[in-house]
Amino acid sequence: MTNRVTSLLRFARRRLFATPLDAVITLVCCWALARIAEPLLRWLVIDATFRGATRADCTGAGACWVFIRARFGQFVYGFYPIDQRWRVDLVAVLVIACTALLAVKRLPHRGALAAGLAVVMPPLVLFLFYGGFGLPVVETRDWGGLMLTLFIAIYAGLLAVPLGIVLALGRQSRLPAIRTLAVMFIEFWRGVPIIAVIFLASLILPLIVPSGIGVDRLARAVIGLALVVAAYMAEAVRGGLQAIPKGQSEAATALGLRYPAATVLIVLPQALRIALPAMTNEFIALLKNTSLVLIVSILDLLGVAQAALADPAWVGMTLEAYVFAGSIYWLLCFALSRASLRLERRAALR
Amino acid sequence: MSAFVYNRRVRDAFWQVAVWAAVVGLIAYFVRNASENMAKAGIASGFDFLGRTSGIELPFLLTRYTPQSSILDLLWAGVVNTMTVAFIAIVAATLLGFALGIARLSRNWLLSSLAGGYVEVVRNIPVLFFVLFWYFAVIAALPGPREAIGIFAVAFLSNRGLTVPTPLATGAFAAAALASAISIAAQFVLAAWVRHRRNRTGRGFPLWTSGAVLIAGVPLVAFAAAIAATPWDTPVLRGFNYRGGFVLIPEFVALVAALATYAAAFIAEIVRGGILAVPKGQLEAARALGLGPGQVLRLVVIPQALRVMVPPLTSQYLNVLKNSSLGAAIGFPELMNVFVGSALNITGQAVEIIAITLAIYLVIGLAVSALMNWYNAKVALVTQ
Repeated sequence: MTNRVTSLLRFARRRLFATPLDAVITLVCCWALARIAEPLLRWLVIDATFRGATRADCTGAGACWVFIRARFGQFVYGFYPIDQRWRVDLVAVLVIACTALLAVKRLPHRGALAAGLAVVMPPLVLFLFYGGFGLPVVETRDWGGLMLTLFIAIYAGLLAVPLGIVLALGRQSRLPAIRTLAVMFIEFWRGVPIIAVIFLASLILPLIVPSGIGVDRLARAVIGLALVVAAYMAEAVRGGLQAIPKGQSEAATALGLRYPAATVLIVLPQALRIALPAMTNEFIALLKNTSLVLIVSILDLLGVAQAALADPAWVGMTLEAYVFAGSIYWLLCFALSRASLRLERRAALR
Repeated sequence: MSAFVYNRRVRDAFWQVAVWAAVVGLIAYFVRNASENMAKAGIASGFDFLGRTSGIELPFLLTRYTPQSSILDLLWAGVVNTMTVAFIAIVAATLLGFALGIARLSRNWLLSSLAGGYVEVVRNIPVLFFVLFWYFAVIAALPGPREAIGIFAVAFLSNRGLTVPTPLATGAFAAAALASAISIAAQFVLAAWVRHRRNRTGRGFPLWTSGAVLIAGVPLVAFAAAIAATPWDTPVLRGFNYRGGFVLIPEFVALVAALATYAAAFIAEIVRGGILAVPKGQLEAARALGLGPGQVLRLVVIPQALRVMVPPLTSQYLNVLKNSSLGAAIGFPELMNVFVGSALNITGQAVEIIAITLAIYLVIGLAVSALMNWYNAKVALVTQ
């Protein structure tokens, strides 16, 4: 016990009160922290209202969490019909089950299973969300909230990763004309604002397909995001490719492998393992940028929160809505960034 | 025949031509579809619309634009607004980011944890969240003009925005700018002369002191004198609002604050990484040579840290520029909002308008990267 006290005192002396200036800094920080933390805590918890059903139940000076409870369904599912929400829940259960299954290290045929699921799951989820073949159709304009945030991020990511790999290979190509093309493509999408690209996709995509073919509003946004993310993914993959010694592809060629086989079997597996943390960071950026679809009136989590503020029955819920939506984004992105950090450390140990 | 097919140069040429032909073909296909679809929908094409009268009222103006001006003038007003927001946000983000990055490296545990906490919170939240939060939750919640927060009793922050005084004459400022330019140029000339003399005779010169006087001191005094000598139009509360001065609308204040507070977290990480990238041996060697703490920082740490920091800083600055387009989400009249928003509404020519907008962002972006690359080349390691 005394040991712990002395070590704590030593820590305070070395890290908080080493010099007079240090002591002043510590005291100023304490004062500022107390000034911010006290009202924040009051608003968030002490004076907040948690129980009730309407605006009238919120009588305290703090946050009105009743609003979040009343709107919780909309924050998660958007305007998805209430009697069909089980489909979204089923997808969530399926995705979590598959992830848990693949997390088992000693699973037989783990790689093949992962590849199989990667092929089967996206169309299956699309079918469950949209419907058809006996299930009632739910138009994409009714999708929203957290479900839509994750949907856009994952589908844009699924499109962006293969395209990004091709672009990265193109940029590293021996052939100058292909290199130029890849550089132009990558630098173009990296140089323009994402919301300009979302506008571009939603206005121009319907024009460039043959007349009579409609492109779904949500699909346009996903394609627009995917193009930008592919360019950023390409740079992440390029980092991995550059870390692979040239001897690897030369040895593969010496063994009689052609460029496609050498790339797919020898170079890419090693490069992607190195690039994985950087690619995870790009995915985090994508998850955050998903909120930009608000600009073409597609309501993801942030959009639903923004739209909920217009409800006359719940006036003045601005802070509550933002704090809730912001916390969800933060939790998702923080968890992913920790995962990326772990991947990086594990790669460094290899 | 097989020798021809397996010839490496022939195969290389074939693949390059094939890929380009496929891309050009695809683009041609898109263009054909687009022109067919546009003809069917009766959408005009060409750039004639730029000369038409816009008729749009802008709430925030730095140019001589009026609703009677042409759409080209509207575009220019938007570009100026975008660059103004981006420039102010970049300066603010750099100052805040450097402060946070250095605080994070502090020996003081509390200070470094607070800075670290800020970075971790901000980095994991969408930038659009910041823009909406600052606009709808912070600026909108400020008191009205009657209870405005005074800043040194000359500028006033309220839910109507930030009201700042404007100079009634600019002559003194032009003189101050000229004096500053001459003073800064003098420092560069002096530096060249000192380098020349040092190479010849080995004699040193307190260049940092002269730099502090010529680059910071003289302009500071000149502009302070100009501020004192110029008559100002200061905002005065009349009834329910301020008269006089220039109003930085709430959208402007919110956008700048959001971009600065968001980018600062990323810049803090860059600063921290740059300083940590200087090998410890360099510091020890510098101390062993008898350099004082200030000299170690100036001559050893900063030059090496800058070298690591400049490339990622460039991409952060470009991010601020691109993110300024989020002004469209809160109705600030920047490039995206006035052009892809308003101008598209009155003309309907989506292809031309989007093409112009993207081209402008690309050109500004390329200019910023060129500037930063020039600076990077100056601070980069010179290797044999």
